[in-house]
Amino acid sequence: MSLLQIHDPSAGPRPIGIDLGTTNSLVAYVSSLGEPLAISDCDNEILVPSVVHYGADKSVIVGTRAKGLALDFPEDTIASAKRFMGRGANDPETRLMGAYRFASSEGPVVRFSVAGGAREVTPIEVSAEILRELKERAEDEIGQVGGAVITVPAYFDDAQRQATKDAARIAGLEVLRLLNEPTAAALAYGLDKKVNGTFAVYDLGGGTFDVTILVLDDGVFQVKSTGGDSQLGGDDMDRTLADLLMTAFEWSDAPSPSRVRFALDAARSIKHALTTHETVETELAHEGKTITFTTTRAKFDALIESLLAKTGLASRRAMKDAGVTAAQLDGVILVGGSTRVPRVRSYVAEVFGREALSDIDPDLVVAMGAALQADMIAGTGSKNDVLLLDVLPLSLGIEAMGGVVERILPRNTPIPCEAAQVFTTYAEHQTGFEVHVVQGERELAADARSLARFTLRGIPPMAAGIPRLEVRFAVDADGILHVTAKERVTGIEQRVEVKPSYGLDDAAIEKMLTEAYDHGESDIEKRALAQQRVEAERVLLATSKALDEDAVLLEEGEREKIDLAVKRLREAHAGASHRVIASRIEEIEHATHAFAGRRMDRAILSALRGQGVEKVEDETKAARGIERAHESLVYPTEKPATPPKDE
Amino acid sequence: MGNPFALLGLAESFDLDLLELEKRVRDVQRNDHPDRASTPLERRLRMGRAVDVNEAFRTLKDDLSRARALLALRGFDVNSNEQPAEPDFLMEVMELREALGDAREAKRLAEVSKLGGQVEKLYTTTKAAFTERFAKNDFVAARSALARLRYYRRFLDEVAVIEDEAAL
Repeated sequence: MSLLQIHDPSAGPRPIGIDLGTTNSLVAYVSSLGEPLAISDCDNEILVPSVVHYGADKSVIVGTRAKGLALDFPEDTIASAKRFMGRGANDPETRLMGAYRFASSEGPVVRFSVAGGAREVTPIEVSAEILRELKERAEDEIGQVGGAVITVPAYFDDAQRQATKDAARIAGLEVLRLLNEPTAAALAYGLDKKVNGTFAVYDLGGGTFDVTILVLDDGVFQVKSTGGDSQLGGDDMDRTLADLLMTAFEWSDAPSPSRVRFALDAARSIKHALTTHETVETELAHEGKTITFTTTRAKFDALIESLLAKTGLASRRAMKDAGVTAAQLDGVILVGGSTRVPRVRSYVAEVFGREALSDIDPDLVVAMGAALQADMIAGTGSKNDVLLLDVLPLSLGIEAMGGVVERILPRNTPIPCEAAQVFTTYAEHQTGFEVHVVQGERELAADARSLARFTLRGIPPMAAGIPRLEVRFAVDADGILHVTAKERVTGIEQRVEVKPSYGLDDAAIEKMLTEAYDHGESDIEKRALAQQRVEAERVLLATSKALDEDAVLLEEGEREKIDLAVKRLREAHAGASHRVIASRIEEIEHATHAFAGRRMDRAILSALRGQGVEKVEDETKAARGIERAHESLVYPTEKPATPPKDE
Repeated sequence: MGNPFALLGLAESFDLDLLELEKRVRDVQRNDHPDRASTPLERRLRMGRAVDVNEAFRTLKDDLSRARALLALRGFDVNSNEQPAEPDFLMEVMELREALGDAREAKRLAEVSKLGGQVEKLYTTTKAAFTERFAKNDFVAARSALARLRYYRRFLDEVAVIEDEAAL
């Protein structure tokens, strides 16, 4: 059932849920009826490809249009930025098959060199563009946005989570919560099915894999354990196929970015085709060379077997951590586009000993769960909201003497949580102290993920070994670490400076926020375009209404002129220039001027023939509708909402 | 942290059904969780308690920390570096560790598994010993049982690591 929802401008800001995916992103909200609804654009597209194009002309384009530019501008069009979030410039990820140009930067964060080399952007800024796009889409649909729940892979470490929060900040979004993707999916399912029990969520997306074991019990979802790999997903499947394609094309060992992008895109299409066909034979042409490439599902299955084995290992470990066997599960939920691959489904059935549930669209389920959680946290939800109790995915530890990791908070600890450690000084009158925090299950700090260095300053000078530095490690509900410290002998709170290993410090973010205003030529352009598009729609509607009612008043040749102007405005509406739209609105006003005048004359004439003043006023207003198309009397301010699929 | 048992409304006993513990945590959080707060102030106040509930959960979930908490409630502080005094016990553990080391070297996984099973049995009987001694208020004996559990736990952790590595 589709309801036309009339937006009440006096209602407060509404919270939203965002699935910021590796391949596609989307935004959802909970309707006044308590239904989670994904928001589509004016072409009824829900998914926004997580692709951002930075043109040499300073343009910034997000989504489907950006995707279309990837082949011609492979280095300036960034896809799968999520794979680089919270990663250093030397991370192995940067050396996997890809089409990008990396800036040789100072500073630990990965940077892409885009806009023909004129600009450097971090994956955080790329993600911010996508978030901004989603925010605007939500604003167009529901009005003012009151905070967002943004989902992240459950296995994202602290740096990756912080990077996501930073991106939201740059996009001007208030983050209500960072929610783990499998938990979000379980929430959407749990509310849909309303069945208590123990479930596994197997979430294989474009770039990340998560497996979570949770218990649903009367309105509380409690995560028992989580595992995964934040660098494992559909993109890696694409790479195995792309390898074969590049061999088939006889491209040398270091293919150009354009060839890499072509191979990756073709690989993805072939992968999708293999979902419904046992054998795929395609003709591929690039740079004047054409080949016929054939592959089979069996071959592809063999290529991805080792990838799947990794997911199996993580799944078994998660079940062990949770203290459950596959037989004890009440269900397995599949999430993520990559779970459409037939071999993935059969593999999951092998690992868990049963067929999985996938009846909610795996592309939408995470965003819907996020919207539901947003509703609850913002306080706009109902009493039927499900409480989510999540866990820390990776052990947190500090580097101790000898480079060994001392575990402070083990993985799967329920969050929010805290742990304290007491340290003391080595030197006389030592006033500073550094703690190196790492994440992961490795024994040596050198092998673990470096998170940040926390420096305590202002330790009151005492003899060596006397101070009692109590360092508190607190992980909040977003899974992000906060460090505070107190010297217990004197009771003095310590100032803690954070130097993230793979993240941006506050100064860098402030700089990006300022730059966002400067490059906000693109922001202003986008706003203007959105506004002009709405204006164009109103004019088109009013024009067609007038033509329906009073076609008899048209003179010879007028209709053709008006029709042409309408056609040109429609074309401009679909384009990217607000200035063109504005000028074509003027064209319509010009073409209908005489016609509008005649309509008004007639209205006045019939009034003079004895009709009421109100009626004259109404008719005059209607006649004027063409000339002054800014009243929203007849035009609904919201598009019809798209109901979720139910099968 | 206070009394983790009292915080979750559980009896002060070493025997604890883990599923019951998880359910109790859910029940407590269901109404008092910060996400259910109506105002930011209320949320802040509840946050501290949520952390305490989770810490109590962690303490009680693990045998060793639960045992330690029980002894602490009776005024018996346990130093985690405490060594059990019995030389026989130490000898026994040393022999087991040697056997494990050999089996690991030679990659004899079946033997690793067997040793693991052996120590698990010892672990279980020692747990029962702790329960009994604690109930009789013989805290010194209980504490030495805890020290043994610690050794067995370390052994079992190593078995798990070996088995994990083999699975890769």
